[in-house]
Amino acid sequence: MRQTETGQTPAPTHHTHGLTRGLASGLALAVILDTAGQLLWKFAVERLPDNLSLWSTIEAAAQQPWFLAVIAVFLCQLFVWLKVVENVDLSFAQPITSLSYLTVCGFSWMMFDDQIGFTKGAGILCVLAGVWIISRGKRQTHTDAGTRT
Amino acid sequence: MSQTLLGIALVILSSAIEGFAQVCLKKSTIQSMRKLHWLGVGIAFFIVEALLYTIALQWLQLSTAYILGSLSFVAVTIFSSLMLNEKADLERWAGLGLILVGCTLVTIQK
Repeated sequence: MRQTETGQTPAPTHHTHGLTRGLASGLALAVILDTAGQLLWKFAVERLPDNLSLWSTIEAAAQQPWFLAVIAVFLCQLFVWLKVVENVDLSFAQPITSLSYLTVCGFSWMMFDDQIGFTKGAGILCVLAGVWIISRGKRQTHTDAGTRT
Repeated sequence: MSQTLLGIALVILSSAIEGFAQVCLKKSTIQSMRKLHWLGVGIAFFIVEALLYTIALQWLQLSTAYILGSLSFVAVTIFSSLMLNEKADLERWAGLGLILVGCTLVTIQK
């Protein structure tokens, strides 16, 4: 006789979906650090001599202190992000971080004179919508390997 | 090949590598054997990805490179289907379609 599945549902990590002040600032900080990291990365790269080879880029980057700042910012971002997802469902938090597609593009338009016309602007919005749809999706595992026989 | 095209190719490659690295990390959490093996491979590929992206940033506008980085969602879907047997639902395919359209539009504009 096959056993019926009784109460086999995986314990849902049920967190509040309400936006508390601490959570809101955590999410904002995650987006800010992500944006700052990207902008710093570009800033650091612009200070490298023109290279083609992989090795000369590595060598030059190792001597460029701005790259340490990039690494530091991303480590902070990782820390903040882990704190956020500790307190809230990933499917709630992750779509919000896709806002960094807007902030990165906005700031690189202001700081690095990136040209963003109609076509590119439409492309950015498409990507933002796509990432939003994907990351808000149900967080279930569809792995066959995980199912018992 | 112009530097812009080379930069675009590098970001696409680094997105593919990121997808692979993410799946390696996932493997390290679900496999009972060789956890460290998958973790090590994942981290190594993340480092390679960062280096390629750094080179690409020399030739591309940040807004272009960062947007094209969203192709890693496509790569994650492909690799997790191949290596983890995860199936993407319709909603995910719709999202991936939007990402592909968006990346095309961003690339079309110089």
